[in-house]
Amino acid sequence: MSLTRRRLFERLGSVAAFPMSGEAVAARGREAAEAEGVALTAAAQNGSTIRIASNENPLGPGQHVLDAIVGRFPEVGRYPFNAKQPEAAIVSALASMHSVANNRISLSAGSGELLVNAVRAFCTADRPLVTAWPSFEAPVTTANKMGLPVKMVELDGELRIDIAKLVEASKGAGLVFFCNPNNPTGTVHGAAAVADFVKQVRAASPNTVILIDEAYHEYVTNPSYQSAIALAAETPNVFVTRTFSKAYGMAGLRIGYAVGHTETIAEVNRYRMPFSIGLPNIAAAVTGLGNPRHIESERARNTAVRDFTTKAFQEMGYSATASETNFIFVDLKAPAAPFRDACREHGVLVGRDFPPYEKTHCRISMGTMEEMQRAVQVFRKVLGNTTIAAGQHGR
Amino acid sequence: MSLSRRQFVQTLSAGAAGAWIGARGREASIFGGLEGLHAQGDPLILASNENPLGPGQAVLNAVRGSFSEAGRYPFATAADVTRAIAESHKLKPQNVLIGSGSTQILRTSTHVFTSKTRPLVACIPAYEECADYARLMGHPISTVALTPGSLTMDLDALLGASKGGGLVFYCNPNNPVATGVDAKGTRDFITALLKASPDTTILVDEAYFEYATMPGYETMIPLAVDNPRVVVARTFSKAYGMAGLRLGYAVGHPDAIKKMGDWDGNGTVSVLALAAGMVAATQDPSIIAAESRRNTEARSFTAKWFSDRGYTPTDSQTNFLFVDIKRPCREFREACAKHGVMVGRDFPPYEKSHCRISISTLADMQRAVQVFEKVLAQPSAAAA
Repeated sequence: MSLTRRRLFERLGSVAAFPMSGEAVAARGREAAEAEGVALTAAAQNGSTIRIASNENPLGPGQHVLDAIVGRFPEVGRYPFNAKQPEAAIVSALASMHSVANNRISLSAGSGELLVNAVRAFCTADRPLVTAWPSFEAPVTTANKMGLPVKMVELDGELRIDIAKLVEASKGAGLVFFCNPNNPTGTVHGAAAVADFVKQVRAASPNTVILIDEAYHEYVTNPSYQSAIALAAETPNVFVTRTFSKAYGMAGLRIGYAVGHTETIAEVNRYRMPFSIGLPNIAAAVTGLGNPRHIESERARNTAVRDFTTKAFQEMGYSATASETNFIFVDLKAPAAPFRDACREHGVLVGRDFPPYEKTHCRISMGTMEEMQRAVQVFRKVLGNTTIAAGQHGR
Repeated sequence: MSLSRRQFVQTLSAGAAGAWIGARGREASIFGGLEGLHAQGDPLILASNENPLGPGQAVLNAVRGSFSEAGRYPFATAADVTRAIAESHKLKPQNVLIGSGSTQILRTSTHVFTSKTRPLVACIPAYEECADYARLMGHPISTVALTPGSLTMDLDALLGASKGGGLVFYCNPNNPVATGVDAKGTRDFITALLKASPDTTILVDEAYFEYATMPGYETMIPLAVDNPRVVVARTFSKAYGMAGLRLGYAVGHPDAIKKMGDWDGNGTVSVLALAAGMVAATQDPSIIAAESRRNTEARSFTAKWFSDRGYTPTDSQTNFLFVDIKRPCREFREACAKHGVMVGRDFPPYEKSHCRISISTLADMQRAVQVFEKVLAQPSAAAA
């Protein structure tokens, strides 16, 4: 990668200049603001827009969760801490699910809040943030706003996190961010590689905190993958973040959590905004956790759609990275921006630029099978139109 | 109630570590969680200054109407709601920043306007969120005592303490003491402050705005939109009955709003809150006027009940009373809890004499005073 730091910061600067930039800090899927801000209102009215830009679950959380929300309507005037079912109910459900003690869990309004607070808790002017790049941006955006140093480590040839380089860069770091599977590239590292990564960083830089973001955990099908939660719970300075925004279909409800070593969790928890999870949202989370079969079927549904879409691109002559998520990162052999603009003209909203790959790759989230069948027709049309890009495309 | 005394003592000693105990409604931790109490029947919660009636059917219908968007990131909707709130004040979206309750607004203000060298300045007691946050960030805090007797803000002392401050937190009406300052008093204070300390920002927290009934009370929004050093915080958690949904907002000059939004946006606000806020911000003003009247009636009844028995409340402009119960709040709170009535937490330095009691429906308050009657009939164990 010939990516210079300067160019990266220019890029990030231009993102930060977007009028709704503040929103991007604490949350994933800023496309909703950038792309949909204009398009959504008009296009959503006729119901035809295909929103495959923000790695959301197109089916939402399921009727069982929505019913649980309605069940809390009589209490909506109460603060969440006065609820008959307070936040502690989520903690208990998670503790039981992950076989850890309650004090190894911290909740948040979406996992974005945790990523922001991790930087605040663990990075200083002398102890940089270290992250693979591209990766989910919230930690970098936060460090930039606070004027804290950032080291970005390029991906390997298969667009996976380069563990050896990341370990090297982590020496003396305050926080190392390891997104697994990695957004936006969709690639994953297996359990052995992650354990080895943690071991190496612990040896090379014992005071560095390791944040393993497993936002897409529920979508992984690669048998070598395993959550790092058990590892984090017993290893100092390691914690894992998860979210209800992806497979659980609750991006609109803003709930995430962290699991890790007690002291690490306590430190990140200090920065937590009080009672940021709404009262009905608590019921949504607890009900979602209580229905693992729903998540299994969501994973199967996503896998089928992902296979279909990946294959459709292959047939058009475009390859995607080995995605273990609900999105694919496709080598368009042309810049993402004109492709995105052209798709939008046809009512299909795809992902934002991810430098340094914005000249070649686009991130495309998985909608329903029916939506992706329609989207593929649009992709064929758009990619067949050679005027959108400098080069010719194979068909 | 089988809540043990020991449990109370444990949780209280943890909570009483500092003068600024917790945040808006930290009662859950004081009571060691309400789950157990709920399990034994519905306690009457007069502890967190909530609207007992909730937000009303139109708002709940809107929440239900947002379900198709529950799986989507709500940022475009957040922009729509920001615009709707701005328009409800005849302002532009650049004048408004929404947040997860006014909690987020208070924290963000403290973050951007205070520093290690520019303290937070606030009356004590006042709502604790800003001080909690300043302490978290290691920023200094200057506190100013209230005027004895009336428990109103001592504006001369506050002005003196504000010079060189980063942020003055000006809670009006003031939680937990319920007193208010009229518009002239507040305007004069702000004018003097900006003159004496031109780099200091003032955050006027109007969480209880809709409940204030004193003559001459007004919002400072017109001042805020013209001056980047004045910010107003509002919430949907009080009169709007949406405490469980978490929506509040700041109103100010575009420069101040941008500074705050650049640090922390609205990524924490849920689609349920946004849907509710859209309806609440645009509903007929008569709905809130009716809620205010309902509260005033229940508040007057309760205040008179206490006054008639020699327990003087301050002049409340809110949906709670701050009553001199002539005994430690903890003792009163614990005794009330045994009868299923939950009243407010300790508010140092008044925790030895005063209790904050939120106003519920008139029927609830008629029930509550029967409990207060019983509890106050017992001589105080800690009577001086």
